[in-house]
Parts: sequence; structure tokens; C-alpha cells
Amino acid sequence: MKLYCLSGHPTLPCNVLKFKSTTIMLDCGLDTTSVLNFLPLPLVHSPRLSKLPGWISKDGTVNLEKELKECAGRVFVDSQPEFCLPERELLDLSTIDVILISNYHCMMALPYITEHTGFTGTVYATEPTLQIGRLLMEELVNFMERVPKSQSATCWKNKEIQRLLPCPLKDAVEVWTWKRSYSMQEVNSALSKVQLVGYSQKVELFGAVQISPLSSGYSLGSSNWIIQSHHEKVSYVSGSSLLTTHPQPMDQSSLKNSDVLILTGLTQMPTANPDGMLGEFCNNLAMTIRAGGNVLVPCYSSGVIYDLLECLYQFIDSANLGTTPFYFISPVANSSLEFSQIFAEWLCHNKQSKVYLPEPPFPHAELIQTNKLKHYPSIHGDFSSEFRQPCVVFTGHPSLRFGDVVHFMELWGKSSINTIIFTEPDFSYLDALAPYQPLAMKCVYCPIDTRLNFHQVAKLLKEVQPLHVVCPEQYTQPPPSQSHRSDLMLELQPPPVPYRRCSVLNLPFRRRYERVYILPELANSLVPSEIKPGISVATVSAVLHSKDNKHTLQSVPKPPPVPPSKKRKRVMEEPPVVQAPKPLLSGAVPLEAFLATLQKHGITEVKVEETVDGHILHLQADDTLIQLEEDGTHIVCDNNEPLRTTLRDLVLRFLQKL
Amino acid sequence: MGSRKVVRPELFPARWTCRGNRGIQKNIWGCKGVIRHSPDIMPVCEVLLDSGSSLPDDTSLEKLLDWFSGLIEPGEGGALLEAHPCLLEFISAVVHKPSSDPSVISFVLKVCGLVAAAEDAFKMLQAHSILDLAFNHQHWHRAGLWEDPCVRIGWIQGLRKMLQHLEALRFFVQADLIPELLQLQTDSSLFVVSAANQLLAHILLFFQPAFPTRRNGVHMEHDDMMSHARITETDLPEVHTETSKCYAAVVVTILEYINESLVTKDNSQLRQSRQILKVLVPLLAQAGPFLRDKLLQSVTDSLEELVTAGYSQLTLPLMDVILAAHSSLSPDDPDQRMGRLLSSMLNVNKPSDLIHAAAAVLHRGHQDTVHTARAVRILLLPLDIITGHTLLGTNTADEEHQCSMAEQLKSKTSCISLICVCLTNAPHVTLMPADILPCPPCSIVAAVVSLLSICSGCVSSSSSGHAEVFRNVIGSSKVQKCALEAVTRLSSSPGVKDELTEVFTVLIRYLSNPDSDRTIIHKSYQALVKWTIVCKDLSSIKDQLRQDLTDVVKKRVCDMRWEVRDSTVEFLGQLAGVLKSPEMERDTSEALLDSCCCLTLLREALRDPESYVRASAIAALGQTLAHSWQQGAALTQEQTDVVNQLLEILSQDTEGFARRAVMQYFLAWFSSCASHTSPPSSSRSSLLMSSLSSVLSLGTADLDWEVKVHSLELAELLLDKAFSGCPDYRKPSERPCASLHPYAVVSDQTYAVHRHTPGVECDLSDVLNNLVKQGVVSALLSGLVDCDRPVGLKACQLLISLRETVGPPSKDEVNATPTTAAVAKVTCEVPSCGWGKEIRRILGMKTCDEDEEADLTADECGDMRKQGKGEGGRSVSVSVCEMLRSLGLDARLDILSQSSDHVHNSPLSLLQDIVMSSATHTQTNTQPGQEVIVDCY
Repeated sequence: MKLYCLSGHPTLPCNVLKFKSTTIMLDCGLDTTSVLNFLPLPLVHSPRLSKLPGWISKDGTVNLEKELKECAGRVFVDSQPEFCLPERELLDLSTIDVILISNYHCMMALPYITEHTGFTGTVYATEPTLQIGRLLMEELVNFMERVPKSQSATCWKNKEIQRLLPCPLKDAVEVWTWKRSYSMQEVNSALSKVQLVGYSQKVELFGAVQISPLSSGYSLGSSNWIIQSHHEKVSYVSGSSLLTTHPQPMDQSSLKNSDVLILTGLTQMPTANPDGMLGEFCNNLAMTIRAGGNVLVPCYSSGVIYDLLECLYQFIDSANLGTTPFYFISPVANSSLEFSQIFAEWLCHNKQSKVYLPEPPFPHAELIQTNKLKHYPSIHGDFSSEFRQPCVVFTGHPSLRFGDVVHFMELWGKSSINTIIFTEPDFSYLDALAPYQPLAMKCVYCPIDTRLNFHQVAKLLKEVQPLHVVCPEQYTQPPPSQSHRSDLMLELQPPPVPYRRCSVLNLPFRRRYERVYILPELANSLVPSEIKPGISVATVSAVLHSKDNKHTLQSVPKPPPVPPSKKRKRVMEEPPVVQAPKPLLSGAVPLEAFLATLQKHGITEVKVEETVDGHILHLQADDTLIQLEEDGTHIVCDNNEPLRTTLRDLVLRFLQKL
Repeated sequence: MGSRKVVRPELFPARWTCRGNRGIQKNIWGCKGVIRHSPDIMPVCEVLLDSGSSLPDDTSLEKLLDWFSGLIEPGEGGALLEAHPCLLEFISAVVHKPSSDPSVISFVLKVCGLVAAAEDAFKMLQAHSILDLAFNHQHWHRAGLWEDPCVRIGWIQGLRKMLQHLEALRFFVQADLIPELLQLQTDSSLFVVSAANQLLAHILLFFQPAFPTRRNGVHMEHDDMMSHARITETDLPEVHTETSKCYAAVVVTILEYINESLVTKDNSQLRQSRQILKVLVPLLAQAGPFLRDKLLQSVTDSLEELVTAGYSQLTLPLMDVILAAHSSLSPDDPDQRMGRLLSSMLNVNKPSDLIHAAAAVLHRGHQDTVHTARAVRILLLPLDIITGHTLLGTNTADEEHQCSMAEQLKSKTSCISLICVCLTNAPHVTLMPADILPCPPCSIVAAVVSLLSICSGCVSSSSSGHAEVFRNVIGSSKVQKCALEAVTRLSSSPGVKDELTEVFTVLIRYLSNPDSDRTIIHKSYQALVKWTIVCKDLSSIKDQLRQDLTDVVKKRVCDMRWEVRDSTVEFLGQLAGVLKSPEMERDTSEALLDSCCCLTLLREALRDPESYVRASAIAALGQTLAHSWQQGAALTQEQTDVVNQLLEILSQDTEGFARRAVMQYFLAWFSSCASHTSPPSSSRSSLLMSSLSSVLSLGTADLDWEVKVHSLELAELLLDKAFSGCPDYRKPSERPCASLHPYAVVSDQTYAVHRHTPGVECDLSDVLNNLVKQGVVSALLSGLVDCDRPVGLKACQLLISLRETVGPPSKDEVNATPTTAAVAKVTCEVPSCGWGKEIRRILGMKTCDEDEEADLTADECGDMRKQGKGEGGRSVSVSVCEMLRSLGLDARLDILSQSSDHVHNSPLSLLQDIVMSSATHTQTNTQPGQEVIVDCY
């Protein structure tokens, strides 16, 4: 069993598991942090951004004025933003049989994998994962395509030149593999390969393994996966949460008794408790609004935003914010809010039960009805006419490099009464803000990451007791910035097997058994004989038939009737008599009793020698050896056939024949 | 009471439920001679004898016993028996009739002991051979009643009450009750064991010979007594030889028992050892030299054995005993065994036992420098290890303990308990003399601050602490709370000011930490206030820190949790109170306050959806503005707005807390204006006076009784102010008042009302007119007829004060002086509805039915009748003076001064209850399940 690790990002994993002749890709997350190296894509012409000076090396030898721009002491690539793809050279992606998706954040690289690589397999995901994933991809494509940039910067990627660039561009990895966003056509094609599954549904892969998604509690339709054969079980845990937010709670018990547990997607903010952060979010929001400022919340169009809206729903009245408008701006805002209400079966019990009342599961429906929350596809159109300040705006993209958020940054950044509150944990807020410096706006960082923290995962693993745990290497040591926090790492016995980008791990367990079926007619013909109370054995002569990883024992086909032959002699030469099979022996030869029997038969001078496996009896008079071992008996007796026969018969007395 | 539910303490049916009531009963029944007039108890005795099980409730006998004990002065048992001959018969009957209910037997045993505490009664009971039978446990054994723990308790407590004189002791010894008492030390019932323990201690202590020099001049040398291993009669004073014998016998037996049962054979008997150790502590503390020496002689070996055995569960009681013994001995005690025991307790190998032992040394205020210093080092050890601050210097003496302690700290549960003990004691440690401390107090503060940082996850990479321990304390709210409490208390330690910046930094970090729970935030605020007091000069607080505090306060005042908002608002008020105190340096403290935008935030909080927060905000506003009130500074527009907002809250808020707070705000404002030295700015005083009449009318019309009482307090202040120049005026609190019921509500606020200025004559009629205009008089009248007793009482007291001041002594003097004539003409409007109706009813009855009609002028009376009975819709003017005289205030005060349950609370009522309940019990025609429904209010 082998694991190929194509992504080094612990929360955006992409691993390939080779298990029993199947090749399974586990998630295909897209590392979007690379976009932080690019200039923002403004929706409206920005004089500030367009006037940024180009970059020339200090000694003047390297001139990349066109490609790189300097802003507030940092250098950014002036081009369509690019993403860091999963590793594509480590193995032939066309050999992948299936891709299992655990949640909509972990499928953003799907088109890069399924298109143009020769991939012919199937992608498995739950329905909300597919639908919301589609929305997120659609949104991404939309963000990119509505502000096209003809220029594509490539010179800076030259290894010789990159070496001379200032940080962080100098240290960016794998820049040659960075790719621009896919198109809507590619998205559609990729998503057409998705086959929907429901929680606990069992899917057979080529008869070799069975896969099954389990609720992971992190987002709508998010799942962990069980991959098992008859004798082995691999669990894949990715992006799970034990908090009671909107999705169905995590199914922990099904993870029990795994041989290997692949653990990814723990919280990126182990020190930030989601409850505290939610409180902080509300406090800062209220504080800004009371002071007459606007609040900008850069966020994804699905996920935590549902919880934020729910929390605000309760908070609005107590903080006297009843009249403040809340805007949600995204090309997919409408669909996202609606989808959340219709996936009832994927919601937590509390919300599910609301479906049976004339009440929508999420309270944002009421916010919309009462006009407290308004949603728009973009800042253009209706929004501009209804825009009222002070207000709260939820919009993407959290990287602040593209999407409507760029506009609000330019609009509100200069005033200190406004606040930007970061809630998505995927991007460093300082890096995200870098191209907007100097910034007067107040910044608050309240990353809300509901995924498992180290404390919870330690408890979980104690509960489910996997034999081996495989995890990203980041989880095996404290974070570099807090080297004393021994509580922020996984401490297990045996220690977890760490991986990093491009690792190929031989998973530390061996397959020992395989299930074989016996056809009924063959089973009928067997004659079992009891060798111990409750245990019977029978000899089987059969043909082993293997197909689609299923092994079947079939009766030996009867020899075809011999075609009449003219050559009589030949007929005589081939007697069709099937020799009766020799009896099989079983049992052990008890030493004392055997010695006594030997003595009865006149063999007295026996020297017994103890060996590792049993005993050697030396019949000194006849210079004969009898080796009694656990799984064999040898009589070494040269040139004395009668004695050998006698000894053989004596040995046989103690053994059972089948 | 309207629709609002208001819980009033005095309305609970107290009914003798607590022993505290005894004081009241004494007032009624307890003085000598009264016994004879107490209610007849015969029917009750009959009931108890007849059907003890049918008591109204299971506390009746307890109450009855309380009443008896209240009746009897020490040594008066005989009088009780004389007054109630039936009591003797009753006791005798119960004792002889073991078929009685166990609870009645228990009661009788206690009564028996109570009565027999007097020697004459003792003899009387002896003469009737009641005592022999009552305290003969075999008697109860035979009747099969000894199994019932309440009989055993009755037996023990009866003996305990009785053993007040030597005759009783002799009886106790001669009846050979000691073995049984010792037997009961290991009884299955915890209550029995505890009572038996106390009795044991009582016998040893009560009858111990007084200090030799004091008793009959017989002096016994300390050494003489020590030379006897066993007590002989020569040890004891020569008088009462027989008694001495008794006592000696008792002491010998008890000490043998203690010694034997102290050391346990196995772990299951640890409970017994613990009990004995618990008895030993008071014994050692209260024993005279003779008894103490005997005790020590007999138990020291066993104590040594226990110390060596090292049972963790016994550490604390053992420490208590050793400390009690050690401190009772003189420091130059030749035999230093206790000192050695103490040393070995402070040297045990189990860190948890060690630290508890050390804490015990500190707690018991042990005086010995060597041991205290050792205990201090032990207590600081966990802090030293975790934080890496070298609190203990480089002394290697602790190395052994250091290792075991460090090992223990790696386990989460023991780590938290150890560090909490350490933190709880840290403030105490810093108050020790410098020669005992291994480091200056500020180092301890620094270490606690550093621990707080670790707890919140801020571990600097340079920290030399024990990283393996960090994971146990990071995020532990228990440790955080303990450490915050420690920091708060450490503020009063000497020489810690230098740590102010560090303390502020860590506290502000706690306040801004999103994960801090509400208690943590509250405690952090408390600590901040305390540390602000410490520092007279806040200039050492850097601007950045000040800014951080401002930011965090602004954030927390918007918190989602109301508790946090409440703590924040409360903090702002406290901070203002501290910073505006005279000893604070003005500029820096004002800078700190202004930067917090106190007033703006508090006004915002007045609109909070949670009433507690609104109430706290009002209180905080009061504290914030108190300073400007006192200085009489000119009024700002903002302050005017605040007053309007408060009036709005008073009239519209649905919750009592906020309205009560508004009343207190105005009370504080008014009293501070009255007390300050500089004249108030005219705008300010006019705003205050103009709002006062609205406050009064709103307050008296409120549904909440506390608001009403507060409005009467305000009326009182107005009276005080109005009559400040009047020599006849005496505040109700200065008036010798009738004995108040303990539950009677008395305002505990002491307002600094200005003293009367002698020589300033006041025009009474003007004053009274003013009071009427301000609405004070109508507020008092409406209070008088209020359905809530505290309101009525307060109003009544104030009206009497008013009457004494303005009313002429009698009607003959009506026309004596022009002043009184003018005063008599002052009238007040009495409306025809609400309180006015009630007042009219009172007046109407008085004026019409009795011949006091002449008191009112004919016109007024006629008017009143006409309007009262006629249209009834208009208010009438009534002379204030006449009204004050006609309301029957004195009689009303008497009624109001009694608690509303005074009838239910009388012994007579109890006796009736008991008799009645038996009657209902025996009535055959009573339907099962049908109970007498008592109106419990």
C-alpha cells in the first residue's frame, strides 16, 4: 500500500492511495495562497494601482518593469493571478481510477486533474459538495473573467531571475507549475465526471475495495471516507468538526478499527477558539457601526458565512443594530443562500426538524424577508442604487486579490472609522492587506476555523484507535512561531507517519489475507473430517478463478471426452485413471509416547537433542536421525530401508490422515 | 402589588425556622418571672405523649426545644419545672413508656438535659429517678429504640446539656456511661459521631481543673504534673476530691481510647483517625497546662507513628494537631518532639502532601521562623518550577523536592491542584517578614504575572520554565482564575509597584483575549481596579498601555455576553471612583478616564437590552459624575441629557433593577450636593430640584417596593435639608425608636447630611409650603397607606418626624404664635383616588366618628365630607398639620414595626399548631388527603 502526496498544504490535501490494485485520489485541493504575490484585480479602474512603479533591481541589471510592480515596499506580479497546483509529475494522473472529494473547499483543483491529463475515472462526492463546489468554482471563474488581463507574466519565473527577486517572490516554490484559472467549460466537463453518493452509502470499486463517505461535521455535505477490503480498513479524515454548527454531526464511530488513518484538514488556527472569534467578530462589528463606520467582511460565499449570519441574526437586536443594512455580494450569493435552505437532509438535527415546520432552517431567510440582509451578484446594477452607509458587507474573495472586495478596499481603506474583519483562516491577513498599504482602515483578525483542533483530535484518536496514523509533517511539531506550545502538535504512540509534498510513503502494514469464494457444487463435494472438536478440515481440489479482484474456487472441469483415436497404442499409454490423492497427514508426534513406542520395537539407544524447532532423535546403533519439527518430520536413514519403513509406520501411528 | 412579582424578605414564613429567632422570643418570654406567665404546655405534653407522630411538621419539636432553651436562664431549670409541673410528669411518662415515638424520646432526652443543667432541677429529676432511666442506654437498647439514630443523638445532646456541673459529672461516671460514649465515636451515623466527639471534648475541657494558681490557691508545678505518667488524684486540686477522682477516671479512659484509636491498623480505619485528630485540635487549643500535658504524653507516640506512615488523607488534620500542639508549647520546650514532627511533615516526599502541610503552617499563623520559612519555600516551589523565575535562589536544599515536584507537575490534575494551592497562598507569603522570604515580593508578583501569560498561551521562546508543564496550564481556566485572584490580592503587598506595567499588560491581554470567559474578564477588571488604587501616580503607565485599555473597554462594552458588558460598565464606574479620589494624581488619572470615553460608553449602555447592565450603567454614571457634583462644577449639556435619560428610565423601564438604580443615583446626587462645601452652580441645583419632584412622584407611584422606599429616602433628605435650620427637627434615625423587628427594613445608607446651623431661624410655614410643592408630603402620605410594610413604616417614621417639627404640641397652643398659625394654614391636596382615597378613609373615620372633629376647621371637614361622599372626583385641600395629627401615626407605627409574621411566630401559635394538628389527625371524619391549608403568603 502506497501513498503519494501531491500537496504539501495540510488543509488543501491531494493524496493518491494505491491499495489493492486500485488508485484512489483523496481530494484535490487548490493552494490559492499563491495569488497573494499578485496585484489585486480592481473592478473599477484604480488610479492608485495603475500608477505603481515597476520593479528594477538595485544594480539595474534586471528590469521587470512590465511584470512586477512595487507597492508599499513589496513587489507584486502584475498579471492574472495564478494558483499552485497539486504535483503532477509524481505519478501518471491518467492511472487514477477514482477521486474522492471530502468537502467543497478541497475540490477546487478538480478541472486541472480531470481535464487534459487523460483521466478517465470517476469522481465521488455528495450532492451539496458538488453543488456548492460548483458555485465556488463558478464564482472564481467569474471573478477572473470579468476583469480579463491580457498580460501573462512569465519572465520573473525564470530560475536565474527569480533568485534575484526580493522576498517573498524569491522564496515562492514551484512557480513554473503555477497556472491561471480554468474556464467554465472545463469546470462543467470536470463536474460531469462526478457521481453523487450519500452518507454511509457503500460503493464497490472493481470488486477490490469498498468506499463509503461519512459525515464529517465541517460543512454542508462534507465527508470523511472509509476505504476497506475484507480484511483491511483505511480511513481518510479531512476537514472534520465536532462543533454543533449547521452541518450534520461528525460520524466518529465508523472510523473505529482502522489499520491506517490518514489525517488531514485540522484547524489552521489552533489557538483561536471559534466561539471566542465569533464573539470578537460581533463585538468589533457593533463597535464600528456604533461609531458610524462600515464593516467589510471578506469571505467565501458558502460555509462560515451561514453561521456568521445566524449569529448576527441573534446579535442585531441586542446590539441595537436593527437598522444597519447587511449586504452579501457575490455572483453566486443568491444560489448559495438558497442552496443552504434546501439541503435539509445534510443539516444538523436541529435544523432538519425546522424543515417540517413552515420555517426555513437558516434564519437568514428571515433577514432577507425583513430586508435586513440584501444580496447582489455584484456591485454593479441594483446594488449601487440601494447602497446605504454605514453598513456591513460580506463579499469575496478572502485573498483580497480579486472579486468585489477589491472595490470596497479602495473605497473604505482610507478612513479609520471603517473596519475590515477577516474571518476566513486561509490567508495571512497581513499579506492580504499588503498591496493596500498604507491603510487607515481598522483591521481585525478573527479567523473562524471550526475544524478539529489538537485537543479534539487527540481525544478522537484515543476513541477510534487506529493502528497507524499518517498526517502532514506540520502536525508532528509545534508551530514554528510557538515552539514552546507542545500542546499544539500530535503526540501518539506509535508516532504518526509524516508526509510532505512529493512524499511517497509505503504504508506500514501488510496485506495478509484474501477472501476466496467456493462455488456451491464444489462445496457440496467436500468431505470434512473433524480434527479437533469444532474444527473440521477437508481437502479441496479446484481451479482458482480470479476476475475483477474476486477469487472463486470452481470444480475441476471433467476432462473432455477423449476423441476417438485410431492410434490404439496411444490410448494404452494414457490411462485415464485419476490417481487417488495421497492422504494428508496432520497432528504432532508426542516425544515421550514416541520414545516409548520405539522402545517397544526394540530401538533403545536413542539420544534426544533439543533444537529450536523441535527435537532430533539419534538412533545411535543404526546411525539414523529422526527430526521431529512442528511442521515436518524427517527420517534420515541411509541404506536401511526396512528400518526406515518401520520408523515411518511408527510415526504415522501418531498422525491423523485425511 | 400589581402584576409584578416582588420578593420581600420579611414575607417569608419564618416561623421559628432558625435559631436566630431565639433573641426575639427572649424579648417576649425570656426574662425572669415571665416563665410563670408563659402559655400552658399541658395540652401539648398530652399530645406528645399520646400521638407524637402527628406533629404539624418535623421541626416542631426543634422549635419547642428552642423555646424552652430561650425560657431558661442558666441555672433556672428548677423554675421551669415549678412553673410547669406537668413537664416533670411528661418527662417521667415518656421515659417510662418506651413505646413513644423516637423523635419524642429524643426531644425528652434533650429537655431532660436542658433542665438538669441546673443543679436544683438535677436533684429534682434524680429524686424522681428519671435521670437514671433516661440516660441508661441499656433501657433504650432493650426497648429496641437505640437503633434509631435520633435517640442516640438525643442521648448525647441531653448529656451535653446536662454536664454543666460536678454533680452531673459524678452521675455520668457512676452510671458508667463512658464506654457507651466511646462506642458512639465510631457510630454508623455521621451526626452521632460528630455529636459524640463534641461531647468528649466538652467533658475534658469543661471539667478540667482551672489553671493551678487560680483554683483555691493551690499551686501545682508544671513539672510535678509532667512527672506522673498516669493521672493520680494527687495531680488534681485537693478540693472536690471525689469529683477529681471522677474526672481523673474519665480523663484516663478517654486518653487511652484516643491513643488506641489514633493509629490505624489499616486504611479502612482512616476515618476514625481523622475524627480523633479533629477532636484533638480544639482540645489542644483550649486545654490548660495539665490536660494539655497529659494529652501530649499520651498521643505523641501515636502522632509520630502517623507521620511516619504518611497517609495523604490525614495530612491536613495531622498538621492541625501538630501545629496546635506546637504552638501551645513554649518555644524553649526541652523536649522538641513536636518541632521535629513538624519538620518531618515539611519534609515528606509526596509533593501534594508537602504543599498542603506547608499551606497549613501558613494558615494557622504559625510563629516559628524556621518552619515558616521552610513552608514558604515549599509553597513557592511550583511557581518557581513552572515559570522559571528563580524565586528560591540557588539554594540546593530543595533539590530533592524540586525533582519530585517537577515530576508531579507533569500530570495535569495534580499540576493544577498544586499550582492553585501555591497561588492561593502567594499573597499571604508576600506579607511575611523579609528575613523569611527567599525573594522580594515583587519577584513573586512577576512570577504570577508570568504564569498568567503562560496560561493564556503566550510563552516566550526565551522562557526558562518547564515546557512539559505548560501544556497542563495553557487554557486552564481554573489556574487563570486562581492567578487572577492572587494578582488582585498581591496589589496590597509591599514594594510591588514596580510591577504595575507588567500587571497592566497581562490584565489587558486577558481582557482582550477572545477566549476569556466572563468570570475571567470580571476578575481581570477587579484586579485592574485594585492595581490602580495601588498606584497613586499613573504616569508610569505608558500611552500605549492606556490606548490598549481604552480599546479593550470599548470592545467589551459591545460584547455579546451581558455579563461581560455588565462587568465592563461596573469597571468604568469603579475606575472613576478610584481615579477621582483625592489622593490620586489628577492629570494622569483624568487622562486615563477621558481616554476611556467613560460618559459616552455609559450613556450607550443605558440603552442595553439587559436590565442588569442598565442598572450597572446608572450606578457607574453616578460614580463618574460624583466628583463634579461635589465640586459644584457647572452643568454640561451631556449631564442634562443624562438626567433626562434617567427620568425616562424611571418612568418607562420595565425592570426594577434599573429603576432602583435611578433612585439611588438621585439620592447620591442630592446628598452629595447637600454635603459639599462649595456652593453649587445655579444651573445644576435648579436641574436637580426640578427633576426631584418628578423623581418623587414617579418613585412613589412605582410598583417596586424598593423603588418606593428609595423615594421615601429621598423625601427624608429633602426634609433634612428643609429643616436644616430648625432646632426642633430630629431625623427619624436620631429619634429613640421603639424596638424594631430585626427584619424591619432600615436604610443602611448614611448620607452625609449637613449639620444644623445654629442661629438660622427658618420660616416653618414657608418650608412646609415648599415641601408640599415639591411633593414630599404627598409622597409620604402615599407611602403611609402603601401595601408594602417597609414603605409604610418608613413613611410613618418620616411623618412623625414632620409632625414633631411642624405640629404644635397640643391644640391649646394653636394660636399661640403667629408662626404656628401660619404653619397650620399650610394645606396639601388629597386626591380622590388611589392613596388619597385611603387617606380620606382614615381621616374621614377619625373626623366623623370621633369628637376630634374640631381639630379640622369646620369648612375643611364639611368640604371633605361633601366631596368625599358627593362627586368624589376632585381633590381636596387639607391642612397638613391637622392631617398629621389625625392620621393616628403612633398607633400605625406600632403595627408597622412588627413583622408581618409576628402572630405566626409566637410560641402560643406553635403550641396551638401542635395541639390542632393532633386534633385533625385524630378526627375520623376528616377526608384523607384533606389538609389545613395554611396561607403562607
